[in-house]
Amino acid sequence: MTVLRVDGRRGLALCTDRSGVRSTVEIALVEPVTAGDELLVHAGTAIAAAAKAPRQ
Amino acid sequence: MKFVDEFRDAELGRVVAGEILAAVEPGRHYKFMEVCGGHTHSIYKYGIDDLLPANVELVHGPGCPVCVIPMGRVDDGIALAHQDGVIFTCFGDMMRVPGSDGSLLDAKAAGADVRMVYSPLDALRIAKQNPDRQVVFFAIGFETTAPSTALTLKRARAERVANFSCMCSHVTIVPPLRALLESPDLRLDGFIGPGHVSTIVGARPFEFIPADYGKPVVIAGFEPLDILHAISMILRQLATGRCEVENQYTRVVPYEGNLRALEVMAEVFELRPHFEWRGLGFISHSGLKLSDAYADLDAEQRFAVPGLRVADPKACQCGEVLKGVIKPWECKVFGTACTPERPIGTCMVSSEGACAAYYNFGRFAREREVV
Repeated sequence: MTVLRVDGRRGLALCTDRSGVRSTVEIALVEPVTAGDELLVHAGTAIAAAAKAPRQ
Repeated sequence: MKFVDEFRDAELGRVVAGEILAAVEPGRHYKFMEVCGGHTHSIYKYGIDDLLPANVELVHGPGCPVCVIPMGRVDDGIALAHQDGVIFTCFGDMMRVPGSDGSLLDAKAAGADVRMVYSPLDALRIAKQNPDRQVVFFAIGFETTAPSTALTLKRARAERVANFSCMCSHVTIVPPLRALLESPDLRLDGFIGPGHVSTIVGARPFEFIPADYGKPVVIAGFEPLDILHAISMILRQLATGRCEVENQYTRVVPYEGNLRALEVMAEVFELRPHFEWRGLGFISHSGLKLSDAYADLDAEQRFAVPGLRVADPKACQCGEVLKGVIKPWECKVFGTACTPERPIGTCMVSSEGACAAYYNFGRFAREREVV
């Protein structure tokens, strides 16, 4: 899933899958995360970061 | 789509299938177990079986989390769901798994408040929205899913959600593999290692397979090219006399796993002395329960749970399918009394179950062959 927005305070990210469905994902296991990162998500939790978005 | 399209390239698939064909010794029969139900699903969905030489056989392993839950455990969940004031939450597949007297879906039809969730976080949200009800999450799955449950329990504790609890049926992958390797029923030449479990546990826990049993392991991703590549890597190990754990799924699997996930699991869970697996019986240190520090969130301590052991229906051969002893179509009730619409056994319920995967995809290729 692709990260759209990160709520660092709550340790959650809004993500979208390839069909555009959005869901809230727990990111504690893969932090730090930024918008554009590709995450492998299982049962609502990101378990691996497949690719990082280019950093500014 | 990145990480998908490039691993479904048909032309490359034919190239790797050619490498596999070139690597096999004529006259030798190879038997490889794909441990994970996700691999089984992909193998049938993409017809990977059809691309392999006749002397390379894939055997399905015990890695479908829904399939391995024993009937008694389903009955325990149903008993909990029927308790006054309880909202019982579980993953969708689990709702359809038959217990000794119906499924959780049947319990819902009979009036129990059973709700499907996509994640434990959804269950926690339901608990927050219903403070006057007790919300129980039926936690199942291997090490891939266990961190999600662990983080949710930590969150419940931090947010003081007192009406949330967990019926923990998480299992671990290494003990059943060891049990299978000790089984005289099964002769294997190598393993396609579980990709997603390995993102959490890493590759190290599988090192006992080459070290103690002399079988190669290649941890693989779930796209067709991943699986073909893994088979080619196992064959290359066999051809060159090597025997080790290799990682084909390097894009998400670090050799050491996800250390944060392992840490949170160690905090929230502890190993049960033994746990019953459907078809495999009791296996020592193969199931997880909540640690003493999280015992107050353990549904089995908060509520009375029958905890009875229930034998599988006689007609069901899920156990033999899970051990790789028979193929789905060799089960007496496959596709007749047991279908995805009316499953008798767990392997016909989940999309990762060998029987459901074969029923949905593989049987068409086989029918063509028979014609």
